[in-house]
Amino acid sequence: MDALEAALDMIWPRRLARYSGWAMIAPAILLVGILVLGLVQIAEGSLHTLDRSTFLPSEEYTLANYQTIIDSTTYWRVLWRSLLGAGLTVFFTLLLALPYSYIMVRTSSATIRKSLLVVLFLPFFIGQVVRAYGILIVLGTSGAVNDVLGLFGVEPLRLLFNFPAVVFGLVQYMLPFSVLLLAPALTAIPRETETAASSLGANWLQSFWHVVIPMAKPGLVGAGLVVGTLSLTDFAMPAMLGGGSQDFIANAIYDQFFRTADQGLGAALALLLVALGSVIAGVVIAIFGAGTLGMGGRK
Amino acid sequence: MTSKHTRRGVLRAGMATSGAALLSAMPAGRLLAQEPEKPSEIIVRAWGGEWVDALKAGVSDPFTEMTGIAVRHDLTEDNEIQPKVWAAVAQGRVPPIHINWDTTTNATKSALRGVTEDLSDLSNLANTTELAKPVGLDGYPLINTYGYVYVLAYRPEAFPDGPPTSWRDLLDPRFKGRIALYNDGIGFHFPAQVAGGGSLDDIPDNMEPCWNFVREIKEQNPLLGEDPDFTTWFQNDEIDAACTISTNALGAKRNGVELAWTVPEEGCKFDTDCLWIPKNLPENELYWAKQYINLALSQESQQVWLDGLGLPGVVPGLTPPAGLENDPSYPTKPEDFEHLIRISSAVQVQNESDWFARFKEIMQG
Repeated sequence: MDALEAALDMIWPRRLARYSGWAMIAPAILLVGILVLGLVQIAEGSLHTLDRSTFLPSEEYTLANYQTIIDSTTYWRVLWRSLLGAGLTVFFTLLLALPYSYIMVRTSSATIRKSLLVVLFLPFFIGQVVRAYGILIVLGTSGAVNDVLGLFGVEPLRLLFNFPAVVFGLVQYMLPFSVLLLAPALTAIPRETETAASSLGANWLQSFWHVVIPMAKPGLVGAGLVVGTLSLTDFAMPAMLGGGSQDFIANAIYDQFFRTADQGLGAALALLLVALGSVIAGVVIAIFGAGTLGMGGRK
Repeated sequence: MTSKHTRRGVLRAGMATSGAALLSAMPAGRLLAQEPEKPSEIIVRAWGGEWVDALKAGVSDPFTEMTGIAVRHDLTEDNEIQPKVWAAVAQGRVPPIHINWDTTTNATKSALRGVTEDLSDLSNLANTTELAKPVGLDGYPLINTYGYVYVLAYRPEAFPDGPPTSWRDLLDPRFKGRIALYNDGIGFHFPAQVAGGGSLDDIPDNMEPCWNFVREIKEQNPLLGEDPDFTTWFQNDEIDAACTISTNALGAKRNGVELAWTVPEEGCKFDTDCLWIPKNLPENELYWAKQYINLALSQESQQVWLDGLGLPGVVPGLTPPAGLENDPSYPTKPEDFEHLIRISSAVQVQNESDWFARFKEIMQG
């Protein structure tokens, strides 16, 4: 043990103890620093237009790429679709995740809890793209759902390649994240508070509405924030389930970087997405307070 | 047809290349070199599915057999490898691939940016047709290796009265949600210009007829995708018709899907793909990458490679694959090109981004 302490003292002498906190946070600062450096480069890139005679970025600095975005009805439409898709995904995901988490946390049956956990974790071992392919197979014109509908004489329906299909895919993808974020918040609610509510005459629904949901607010806000930002920036689901006509902002960025080689315009769109996500997160924190998210701020 | 590649043949090609290099005043150091050191492998970017299978059978396997150099196929999309190669060359790094199998339009962008090696010294270029030469570029910063047609592929059972004769046939209400286009509209812009009542001579200055027709097509809720999507959609009975490269239709047909294709009266876009080598490769790897492309231009390789793709090559005397003789997707004679639309790469390179943006604007509505 003494040798271990001596070795530790050589690596991090005691006189540096007051800097230990900084040392521990240094890797995180380094990671954020790299991210910021990348953002600075993207910001610099967004100020150059593409010279199509050489396919090199122009020398002069300009805001032309931002003007292109402002003038484009396509980008406004894609932006609105991304926001609407993210909003609907948050709503439906929380709607499904809350009862799922509640049952998982409150059930007295170990078998049910384990089964719910297994069902929850299984999709985590399958990537987003594979899951999207699964949806393509199940919801396709010749897929399982249409096969079942066919048994009742229903003609094959086009269930894919539209906006609802994209939202469905996102909800399916985000549900485990949401449950995992909600479960700790629900676990933290003492069972006795619900017992107290029912002893005061509240039925289960009233107890759930007036006691559980308000007390689960940190989990709901946290899950909503994570699901919302991940959905807003999603690429695969709109690309695979949208049939090419339901692009989100990430798809528009991809197009500029990789399809038209216009990295300046792609960079401008990327910055717009970062700004949008940051504003939304900022507004949520401003409304609910950092303390709601367990960050030690105002309660 | 079986391909015969002998070591002697490769050495002959190599010597011819060296001879051409001598004439084109290459550095003396390179001239004196015998056979440069062989790398353990070369990396060729390729499209997947039947595309890479055909390249492997026609070029990569014979190359490995002859030289002992393994060929690794990198299936990164052509559009995605492009910025990586550009960044590598700009930063003075060795690029991630030795050879890029690319669309000519994309490759022309790379050539304009100055990231491509000159391939003028390849001996087998002497045997190629005019199609191999890139238009509007000096020398051979890329070499076209075959042509292809964006045909109207269709499910015959969906057209009981016979093949569609016009792109406007797709506007029939029964095809709502049952047709597919590329997600940037590539291959469709030029026939749409004609189908919309416009003239090809107005490209690129006035393409409103094209956009008007695209708006009409938009009302049909087309699916928009990439090459592999078309095959999948036909196989899964999601679509009845698509504007796609004939190879994809042929691939679906070879997979058992009942499929046919045609060139409607407005015409179809004809274009080329090519091979090119990025700058900054070590000298010995550059040499062997050039040998790979040289082999790809040999008649034996072209025959096997393009049999797999069902496409016409750039060397004379190739035998059309079974069933494709006199097929509109396999043009070889001047009269075969009468209904095919070929717009110069220069025009496409300059305007493609705008066309893609306009198509997206309509389709994302």
